[in-house]
Amino acid sequence: MIAQAILSLLLSGVLVYAWAEHRRSPVVASLSVAVSLAGLFFVWVPSESTRVAEFVGIGRGVDLILYLWVCISLIVLLNLHLKLRTQQEMITKLARAIALANVVTPYEDVMGAVPDVPQPQAGALPPSRAHKSAQMDDQIA
Amino acid sequence: MRSIAPSSVWVICPAFNEATTLPRVLKELRDAEYKVVLVDDGSSDNTPRIAAGTAAAVISHPINLGQGAALKTGIAYALSQGAQFLVTFDADGQHRISDIACLLEALEGADFALGSRFLQGSQQIPLIRRHLLRAATLFTIATTGLCLTDSHNGLRAFTRRGATALSLRQNRMAHASEILADIARSGLRHVEVPVTIEYTRYSMRKGQRTADFIMILLDLFAQRLYR
Repeated sequence: MIAQAILSLLLSGVLVYAWAEHRRSPVVASLSVAVSLAGLFFVWVPSESTRVAEFVGIGRGVDLILYLWVCISLIVLLNLHLKLRTQQEMITKLARAIALANVVTPYEDVMGAVPDVPQPQAGALPPSRAHKSAQMDDQIA
Repeated sequence: MRSIAPSSVWVICPAFNEATTLPRVLKELRDAEYKVVLVDDGSSDNTPRIAAGTAAAVISHPINLGQGAALKTGIAYALSQGAQFLVTFDADGQHRISDIACLLEALEGADFALGSRFLQGSQQIPLIRRHLLRAATLFTIATTGLCLTDSHNGLRAFTRRGATALSLRQNRMAHASEILADIARSGLRHVEVPVTIEYTRYSMRKGQRTADFIMILLDLFAQRLYR
């Protein structure tokens, strides 16, 4: 009974999490709900897991749950990895914006003007620093 | 036949802790009158200070992002300055300055000129490296359909139109494959030009390790998973 109580508490926690997460990512939330409901079911009716296991061709109910758990972990891992990559891309954009806002042009700093800069196109503003960074924003975007 | 004035060419030089070879590379590039954009990729040595004396522009990433990211930053800057011709050039001294002119000449009939170390035979290429590059070439043919002899050469030249067609979302080394995929997708013309790679002990140590190729494959695979 003690183990069942603790497991039920934890799985209920997952349900609460899924409810809180629902607006941000409905897919993750509904998957979490499904997993925790299935978990609660098997915690209170363990014999059912063996029946399901036998139905799909696995010996014991415990094994079935173990295999499912491995699959779920891998999916969670993949999801985390993709999230990390998205973050990395954001960091890259941020770092690039900082770098392009602080370009050092030695000739300009020493002599006040870059020798043979590309001529500004007709109608373009003079190549002031502010103008440059505005142009660069276009390039990054 | 139009000839391209060196001063209209922007050479993008990504550098991460290259203080040993950088002075020579930058001096040679400046003597050849190219405009050099040095992208310091968060170096911890005095790479940016060395560059400040010789490069036309020094851009410093606040943190190390990888060579692909550095190239993208440099290309974005050069394009914003109205560059018509762009060259990517490794800072570790493995490329020859004289090869740039050959690439630029090739741009007369194409938007991308890609350096290849295998076009002129009998170069000193370490055996393992040779086999890895062969595998990378087969991978390129399989994924992009481009029949190239050398898919991972850091020496390339683009026209403005070519450079604009590149997406460069891979921060690290997988950008080399990504550039080729973009070239294939753009449908613009590309040519390969024979270049020489100087394999020094320094460039071998700084360059790709064999295990990195596995990471490159993982990076490319991960990118296909999302978006």
